[in-house]
Amino acid sequence: MEKSYIMSMDAGGTMTDVFFVDRDGKFVVGKAQTTPHDESEGFAASCVDALKQWDMKPDDVFPEVITGIYSGTSMLNRLLERKGQNLGVIVTAGQEDYFQLERGIQTYLGYSYQDRLKVVTHRHNEPIVPRKQMFGVRGRIDCFGKQAIPLYEDEVRDAVRQLVGMDVKGIVVNLLYSFANSDHEQRVKAVANEVMAEAGADIPLYLSSDLYPVMQDFARLNTVTVEAYAAEPSRGQFKRIADRVSGYGGDTQLRVMASHGGTISMDAKELARTLISGPIGGMVGARYIAEKLGEKNIVCSDIGGTSFDLGLITDGEFTMKAQPDMAKFMLKLPLIEIDSVGAGTGSYARVNPISNRIEIGPDSAGSKVGMCNPQASETTPTLSDCNVLLGNLNPYNFLGGDVVLDPDAAYRGVKEHIADPLGLGVHEAAEGVLELFEDHLRNEVFARIFGKGYSPDDYVIYSYGGGGPLHVCGYTAGLKFADVVVPAWAAGFSAFGCACADFEYRLDRTVNAAFPASDMDPEGFKGAVSGYAEAINSAWASLETRVAEEFDKSGISSDQVEYKHIVRVQYAGQLNDVEVTVDFERVESAEHLQQIIDRFEDAYSKAYSRAARSPELGYQTTNVVVTGTVPVEKPALPVETVSSETPPESARKEGRKVYRGGQWHEADIYDMDKVLPGNVFKGVSVLESPATTLVIPPGFEARLDEHRLFHIKEIKG
Amino acid sequence: MSAPAEQLQSKPIGWDGKTLIEMTEESKRLFEETGRYYGVEDLTLLRDQPILYEKIFSRLRGGLVNARSTALNISASPIVRELGELSFAIYTPEGDSIALSTGIIVHVHTMSDAIKYMIKHNYEQTPGIRDGFIFCNNNSMIGDVHTADVHTIIPIFHEDELVGWAAGVTHEVDVGGINPGSMCYGHADRYGDGILVSSELVGENDEFYEHYLQRCRECVRAEMYWVLDEKTRLTGAQMARRQVLRTISEVGLDTYKKFMREAIEEGRRTFLQRSKTMLVPGRYEAPSFTDLPWADDVNVHGQARKDMMMHAPLSMTVKGDGQVEMSFEGANKWDYHSFNCAPSPMQGAMWVQLTQTLWNSDKINDGAYFATDLKLPYGSWANPDWEKVSTTLTWFFLIPGWSGMIRSVGRSYFARGFLEDISASYCTSWNLMQGGGPNQYGVDGAFTNFEVSCGGTGALYVKDGETACAAMWNPEGDMGEVESWESMEPLLYLGRGVKPSSGGPGKYRGGTGSEALRMVYNTHAQTLFNGGEGHCFSSYGVYGGYPGCSGYRHNMHGSDMKKRIENGEPFPRLDGDPEDSQISALCEAEEENFDMKAIQGPKHFGEYDLYLSMNRGGPGLGDPLERDPRSVVHDVNIGHVLERFAKSLYGVEMTREGESFVLDEAATQKLRDSMRKKRLEQSVDAKEFFDQQRQRVINKDFIRPVRDMYASSMDLSSEWNEKFRKFWNLPADWSL
Repeated sequence: MEKSYIMSMDAGGTMTDVFFVDRDGKFVVGKAQTTPHDESEGFAASCVDALKQWDMKPDDVFPEVITGIYSGTSMLNRLLERKGQNLGVIVTAGQEDYFQLERGIQTYLGYSYQDRLKVVTHRHNEPIVPRKQMFGVRGRIDCFGKQAIPLYEDEVRDAVRQLVGMDVKGIVVNLLYSFANSDHEQRVKAVANEVMAEAGADIPLYLSSDLYPVMQDFARLNTVTVEAYAAEPSRGQFKRIADRVSGYGGDTQLRVMASHGGTISMDAKELARTLISGPIGGMVGARYIAEKLGEKNIVCSDIGGTSFDLGLITDGEFTMKAQPDMAKFMLKLPLIEIDSVGAGTGSYARVNPISNRIEIGPDSAGSKVGMCNPQASETTPTLSDCNVLLGNLNPYNFLGGDVVLDPDAAYRGVKEHIADPLGLGVHEAAEGVLELFEDHLRNEVFARIFGKGYSPDDYVIYSYGGGGPLHVCGYTAGLKFADVVVPAWAAGFSAFGCACADFEYRLDRTVNAAFPASDMDPEGFKGAVSGYAEAINSAWASLETRVAEEFDKSGISSDQVEYKHIVRVQYAGQLNDVEVTVDFERVESAEHLQQIIDRFEDAYSKAYSRAARSPELGYQTTNVVVTGTVPVEKPALPVETVSSETPPESARKEGRKVYRGGQWHEADIYDMDKVLPGNVFKGVSVLESPATTLVIPPGFEARLDEHRLFHIKEIKG
Repeated sequence: MSAPAEQLQSKPIGWDGKTLIEMTEESKRLFEETGRYYGVEDLTLLRDQPILYEKIFSRLRGGLVNARSTALNISASPIVRELGELSFAIYTPEGDSIALSTGIIVHVHTMSDAIKYMIKHNYEQTPGIRDGFIFCNNNSMIGDVHTADVHTIIPIFHEDELVGWAAGVTHEVDVGGINPGSMCYGHADRYGDGILVSSELVGENDEFYEHYLQRCRECVRAEMYWVLDEKTRLTGAQMARRQVLRTISEVGLDTYKKFMREAIEEGRRTFLQRSKTMLVPGRYEAPSFTDLPWADDVNVHGQARKDMMMHAPLSMTVKGDGQVEMSFEGANKWDYHSFNCAPSPMQGAMWVQLTQTLWNSDKINDGAYFATDLKLPYGSWANPDWEKVSTTLTWFFLIPGWSGMIRSVGRSYFARGFLEDISASYCTSWNLMQGGGPNQYGVDGAFTNFEVSCGGTGALYVKDGETACAAMWNPEGDMGEVESWESMEPLLYLGRGVKPSSGGPGKYRGGTGSEALRMVYNTHAQTLFNGGEGHCFSSYGVYGGYPGCSGYRHNMHGSDMKKRIENGEPFPRLDGDPEDSQISALCEAEEENFDMKAIQGPKHFGEYDLYLSMNRGGPGLGDPLERDPRSVVHDVNIGHVLERFAKSLYGVEMTREGESFVLDEAATQKLRDSMRKKRLEQSVDAKEFFDQQRQRVINKDFIRPVRDMYASSMDLSSEWNEKFRKFWNLPADWSL
């Protein structure tokens, strides 16, 4: 029998979700408690939970699973809880205090604006390597990659000897400008191996020039250290999950979701990039669906309990951030750009007693929901309280009815904390808070698109996450998107997205190569071609080799890999580069340089104003990138028969009143899982599933298509 | 439809047919008559439509934040791009700020001053104020902190009516001063300050005049940075303008106008209310000083070649209604150096401190200006009576000058019980490393190293200060990366690490500062400055806490570094304990500058010369003898406190175990008991102490610079003269 299931899992902080999808696009989602000591236990329980919906067992399904994807937070938790490996670090002499000084920015990363202003709240990270395990060795490479001071090898010997004595589990090596010239790091490795051989020790070495050959020494050190500290121990967790899979008769190789939007093997060298995978699943899923539907420009919007996350796909491509931050660390990893730009459904709403003005967030009740949750003891109302109070949320549907919410408590909270101080009616106040929230999101959405040089009618917006569909009409109103899409499986969309990811490695390398503008300095331009070509081509070649090596670990030969070649370009001297994908594999001619110029200028003038163009400075390539992709099975989009516009009676739930536009409306309530393709829902309708609620207010309507995607449009003039 | 130019000019651009001068006068009159901004009594929009009010605010503020985050990507300057030295704001037609972005909000009011200058000088007539015009300013006597900060200001028109202004500011890498670096000093007056653009019309139709850009290119070093930053500011200001117009199109012009007035009046009331909630009315005195030991500095101008002191007798008065008044009455006279401040930077500095303490909110606006007063004696360094003074590095006086505000506010917090908010104040943000010359790329360059934005912070009432964290002028400090700085400056880092014992001792220790040891490399010549206090403490610590250590100069000219490297001999990584200096131990030089002259004029450095840049630690809080001895031992073990000070300052006895120290509890207890006893023995009666000191004053037992400083203060201010005499009960014929 042909194999035909795809499995993806997401081991979150509290729950482990497992998602199975069959050949026809039908899927089930299972949930179980996360088991941090051995994640495979939670994984197994979640598999059982999912498959029982199909009356099946893991042993029935796993032999037919063709692709399995892991994503999870265990690595991140290991970092946050400082439970990583005991490490030693060798750096350039004089830099031994890296983790004590950090950079100032690491004392307020992720803070609210108020706290960023207020210095008394700033705090450094607890160092992940103790000061006594940091060693400096003399020797310098300069900014051109030339040796300025030879390596003092005796100091290396001494440092390694001491680290061997300290019983460290790994040694990180990060010397200044090693990305430009790795000779000194390679010598450190050779000397360290000699010393360890003499001492009979075998401690793994993590060289920054091997793993992350990119500029910026501190962020690079962070990345390599996090790799050794938090990522390396995850290999054991992966292995246990892989063992479960084989125990169930599966023979698929598990892959891990990585920050660049592809999946990589569990044996990959650079595992730290899997540290940040949670929020990007949804974007990968949206891109996959959009591709199938022929859409190129997508806005991804995801509202969770604590934040509103926004990401853009333009011309089918993600925007990549080269230096993201995570857990208060600056890192050098490619990460799909997603920004938290607003509050989430659990964010608190209150009136500032001094100014008598409404404030939403920045703090949040998160998973505790709000005052309406009888199991929490919240004392400040949240956006969810407003939603319960206005009838948007069904108190009996929360978490599929596991917790019954108390609208009266929400009423009392909003009255006391918002309505009374402002002299407003309670429902009016609650609606005002939500309006304010949605208005802010709408502005942010608009600003991001505008910032790319486009307008909303060039984009389709996808809304998912537990709170996205609840507010989607509010934050898209009046923006005239090409389409507004809510997948019927919005709450499980991230897990779905992980299953849609390619098997893809992406490697970056810093090179500094420049050339002038062809029209302003034609001679200089011509003269620069060969030197530029040499710098770029040799870097691309080295990255291709490394990508091939990674695939080789999974038994995939290089000829099966599809390579993509990218340069990151900026005006010479500027600090913000733009990623330019080219359609050649080697730079061979002036035409190739011209293509780089044209594509860069196009992207740049869209992102910034035309007046900001500065071709007179010339063009500088900062980093080169190679991605290698191997096609993998991905979930099919469900295709169902289109039924009539009128939803089936069986989908109808008990009606209730919903407050909108200052008055109560009799709303039609539906079970989201039971409505049929072709059905149309006019405002005011509410569609409920256990983990999400879609609200269609007056002036809007939604239509479910054959792929179980809702399309929302504004019908008022 | 287009009207002839002369008609457009003659038609007022203000509201209801008024000129901007008329509008400004009306605003002033209404405030004077009613005490409220524009005479607004009822905040009807906020009261009747609180949701709409908040929506408008959120839209404007969101637009500014987005403008900033988009625009900063255009800049080539690490100061702007990486360290965030830029901000944007929008203003009323009269130049009062309504909302601002994140970033260096010190400038919100300085840009307001620049707009008000244009109105006052009737720019409406000439050169005219029209849609698409671009104005630029970096003149601190008009409205700015110093020449390195450059403003771009554009008017916002709705049809023919001016509805406000959008403005942005960035800090430049170089402004074409007499020496390289954005804040050069050592020259006598403004003529060495660099390019000066005085609220000048520099473009129209949303584009810069090419002749203006050309002038800038010709006048500054590293002109690429300047030109890209012009584009950065213009792009951001245009985005802010677009957001205002979008808001108007959605809410209507009348509502927007109403909002502007209410937002500022509401800001004023909120500030007063916050002040009433957090502070205790009364007068707080917190003077501070700094030293300028230039008598022997051959690198500075002849008129400045003397040992000087800055006097900042800051007094904060909190009134019953919450109004806060800051007075520098008694500040001494300006001089022929570059550290003079105009009122605008003083106002800016107050803003910075307010937004880090009393009002750390995204909702702050010029309402705070209307709720505060600032008294700056005319003729003093804080308000010079000669407008040709040099102001390139106003911060050198301004930073120490304002340190007392945080201590004063902290005392109030203590009285009100806001203990977690109490700080022993900031550290002074030095050493300022800047300079330039032929760089490693073979072209003449200039640089300013902004590591200085990461000093140790002051100790709090509840914990130690943070190591290398923030600057007085930028709470979002960041040291940047070694590789980033080295790609711009032809100096290798031999090391960058914590500076032991730089944080002020106390029950809670001031945050530790840092130091970087640099070696000039890949160039034959650089001009470098040292900047910071050396003989004086400028930020003192509270409740028995000590100040952070002041700075010093340790540079090596004509070093033997090349030979050492060739021979594989050890060389210094950092300086460490200056009493056991690594630099002196591991390097020899023809000229070793190792002294407390921490502010040095432009000096030549050759290849392989060493330059030490030490960033200060924060002041401490509380008696060091009350510090948990385990924390002291930990500090010694991780290099934050020198071993010898554990005993002498903290009374902690330790024993060595392998590489680290462990606490000897019993011996510590004994030592601390004896230190307390000794303190008692040494103490004198307060009256007796006062009498002793009074006798010193009567005898004029001051060193020369102190004597000159007080004489100058008394000369400028009879009020302060009287106060001083009264305090010390001096005889009538006493004078300096």
